[in-house]
Amino acid sequence: MKINRFILVLFSAVLITLASCQKDDPAPVTISASTVTNLPADPPSGGYDPMSGQPIGVTKKFTLFSFKTGAIVANADSATANWDLGFNGTTIIVNSGTSGPGTAGAQVVTGVFDEILEAPASGYGTDNKTTVPATYAIPRGSGNGWYNYNPSTNVISPIAGRVIVVKTSEGKYAKMEILSYYKDSPAAPSSGDIDRHYTFRYVYQSGASSTFE
Amino acid sequence: MEPGSLIFATVKFLPALLLAFGIVSAHAQEADTLAPQRLEELVITATRTERTMGALPMPVMLVPKNQIRTMGSLRLTEVLTEQTGLAVVPQVNGQGSGIQIQGLNPDYTLVLLNGEPLIGRYTGSLELSRIAVGNIKQIEIVKGPSSSLYGSDALAGVVNIITERPEGTRGHLYSRYGTNNTLDMSAEYGTTHGRWSLYGFVNRYSTDGYDLSPQNYGKTVSPFFSYTGNLRVGYSFSPRTELVVSGRYFREKQQFDFEVLSSNNEKIRTSGDGLTSDWNFNPVLTHRLSDRAKLTARFYATGYQTETRLVNPATDTVYYTDNFRQGFMRPEANLEYFAGKQHALTFGAGANLESVETGRYGDAVARNQETTYGFVQDEWTPSERLNVIGGLRFDYNNIYGSQFSPKLSLRYELSKSISLKGSYGVGFKAPDFRQLYLNFNNTAAGGYSVLGTEVVEGRLAEMNAQGLLSGYLIDPSQLGNLEAERSHAFNVGGRATVFRKLTADLNFFYNSIDNLIETQAVAVTTANQTIYSYRNIKRVFTQGLEANLSYPLTQRISLSLGYQLLYAKDADVVDQVEQGQVFWRDPETLVTRRLKPEEYFGLYNRSRHMGNFKIFYSHKGWEGSARVIYRGPYGMGDIRGNIQGEVLPPSDINGNGILDVYDHFVSGYAQVNLSVARSLESGLRLQVGVDNLLDYTDPIYIPNLPGRLLYASVGYTFHRKTKTNN
Repeated sequence: MKINRFILVLFSAVLITLASCQKDDPAPVTISASTVTNLPADPPSGGYDPMSGQPIGVTKKFTLFSFKTGAIVANADSATANWDLGFNGTTIIVNSGTSGPGTAGAQVVTGVFDEILEAPASGYGTDNKTTVPATYAIPRGSGNGWYNYNPSTNVISPIAGRVIVVKTSEGKYAKMEILSYYKDSPAAPSSGDIDRHYTFRYVYQSGASSTFE
Repeated sequence: MEPGSLIFATVKFLPALLLAFGIVSAHAQEADTLAPQRLEELVITATRTERTMGALPMPVMLVPKNQIRTMGSLRLTEVLTEQTGLAVVPQVNGQGSGIQIQGLNPDYTLVLLNGEPLIGRYTGSLELSRIAVGNIKQIEIVKGPSSSLYGSDALAGVVNIITERPEGTRGHLYSRYGTNNTLDMSAEYGTTHGRWSLYGFVNRYSTDGYDLSPQNYGKTVSPFFSYTGNLRVGYSFSPRTELVVSGRYFREKQQFDFEVLSSNNEKIRTSGDGLTSDWNFNPVLTHRLSDRAKLTARFYATGYQTETRLVNPATDTVYYTDNFRQGFMRPEANLEYFAGKQHALTFGAGANLESVETGRYGDAVARNQETTYGFVQDEWTPSERLNVIGGLRFDYNNIYGSQFSPKLSLRYELSKSISLKGSYGVGFKAPDFRQLYLNFNNTAAGGYSVLGTEVVEGRLAEMNAQGLLSGYLIDPSQLGNLEAERSHAFNVGGRATVFRKLTADLNFFYNSIDNLIETQAVAVTTANQTIYSYRNIKRVFTQGLEANLSYPLTQRISLSLGYQLLYAKDADVVDQVEQGQVFWRDPETLVTRRLKPEEYFGLYNRSRHMGNFKIFYSHKGWEGSARVIYRGPYGMGDIRGNIQGEVLPPSDINGNGILDVYDHFVSGYAQVNLSVARSLESGLRLQVGVDNLLDYTDPIYIPNLPGRLLYASVGYTFHRKTKTNN
């Protein structure tokens, strides 16, 4: 018992030292943890048609995102490897296969975001919409990938514990957790809230490592 | 006579007793309906032949007419809410309500009227408030599957409403008025003359409805009125042969005024009518072939239709229309035969012809299906202490194929005061027309489509050819081929009479369904909208315990206590939680944690605890009751916004799609109902009462629970054959 307590104290001391070291030393940090709020995923400019329920004024274009820059990539660059993921409604594409010219891959991992400390070595899928059924690295449909859809309330909720791990075209790793599909991330979204706005947190490993620490 | 020896005598002389209670003379037990726990109460639902309730080897409940009268109830839902283990749950579309038995949804309970099924499962469950109780003789509830006798839908249980039969000449006039300008008026007349018997009943019910959210336009329940008529004519060709022809007509008109949310979330005020009607026609011919054999030929035809039309008065355009028509026909013959003293056999065969027509199938074409069936049952009494009932039914349907439904039940008398019961049965529920033919496009924001399994393949191929589909989510060859849902159920329990006359009934139940039909996303459109269809993919189980205690405190006062403990869960979710694959995200801090097995609560809309406590009083023309009905906390899942266009927050608030202990729960609540009545020598009966004395309401989650209701009624009975105390 005494020994355990000693070790614990020792560990704490080391951790505190490390933490303070990190604060003072800006040098070898390769990790950036960020949150993206309200990434638009083709929200309908004209709302929804009252008779058919179809969205009005959608561009059907994907909003492209790069983990490296942490920013949206213009659609003009869609034929480049500069983007990693694309967002349109609930569909998320990855830059490879039938979706883009890149070589990125992605997979949905079940676990707690903070506990996933290393990207899996394999299992990264690409998109292929020519097969029947179409295969997507981040599976589409309620309950299949990152979200659940409640047909009674028309609410999309990101499934807790689904972490998307991406291997970019440059061979770098990122993990992301989607937190909301609605503008300004209401705690209890309803169909009255504006949808097709992603809020997610991610960690991008800019170094050669596959760890997220 | 001791109650125990009565059972003894009943079992021993079962065959003789049965003959004595043929259909012709079935009203004999009406004379004394006072003591609440009489053991000689006859029920027909459990075996299709009249049997004393205490001798049956499966869980059965009976609500007799005098209890319904003392409660002051008007509609079937009010009566069923107060029974142990029965929960009145709102329908999926937020309108009306159905009955949950042993934790299974209302769609899984078969509701019969004099042994024939009520139809009109417009959104899955039946709207039971359309049944007036003024002409009801008794309500029988059999829990556990009875598909071995009744086929589809008799999975969680069977509720059989037995209507009044004439006995001598008797007329009854009744009127009740109460809160919300609710007025109920009924007239009843029955007579027998030589070989003829006649019974008629008419009822008019009207209410202004009620408004639980006055801040919103329109009412929670819109005003409506309804008419019910029931006629029954009997003729005895001979002491051996009798024909009874009965019919029912019901019509309801509701006046809607409410605000709906458009797809752009604009509030639009609409008004319109909802019309619902049903009718049935049911001739039954019984013929006693010998002292040992009785033949019954039955025919049943029924129709149901409902139509809703909402207009936007500002623009004078039709905002919404919905219609649904259903027809059902059944010829059936059965034979009861006593083989020696130990076996009572029942054989039956028949056919169901059904058709449905609704705008929701995308056209005005009627969809039909046919089922032919046969069943056999043996009630075996090998000794004075043991009786065994075995039954088997075979159903063949032209769409979903064939079903075998066996059931075995047994009862053993340990002593005069203790008996044990156990049963195993298979129940099934055929895919309904909606699951087969729905072609529905939800027009709300983020809309979606639902396609029935018989149309999904063709419709998707069509959309694909038109370039409207961005892709399939599952292999299209897996679409279609919906099977009937099947359950396996065990009920084990017993009855004991101790301490003078304290009767305790205990029943453990377990139901499991391995191929529950669930919507599954099957394709995505180019506009990124999901298309759903139905598949046999879900595994659920419900298990628990039901206990009922009844105690006659004095000759005048009887007490009863009922309790149900329930665990209803998704078996796949249980597995996933045990494997650590399920998480929850705190909606405020957005921190995700792994869910522990004990933190998974179970299916939505199930209360872990439900109970009731009732006191009934009856003496010298006075009668009264005090009833407390409790329903414990539960989660709200598949419910759309309530009728006033409010958006209903779902229970799952932490991103795992299941109900866990960190989610939002609808609060538990108790209803307290009181009534007092006085019957006078002149035939007049006066009653006052209050339902929901504590005025408990929950406008968002329990729109079907009105606030406190006060009422007073007056009834007059003439030419009564026997004088009764109430």
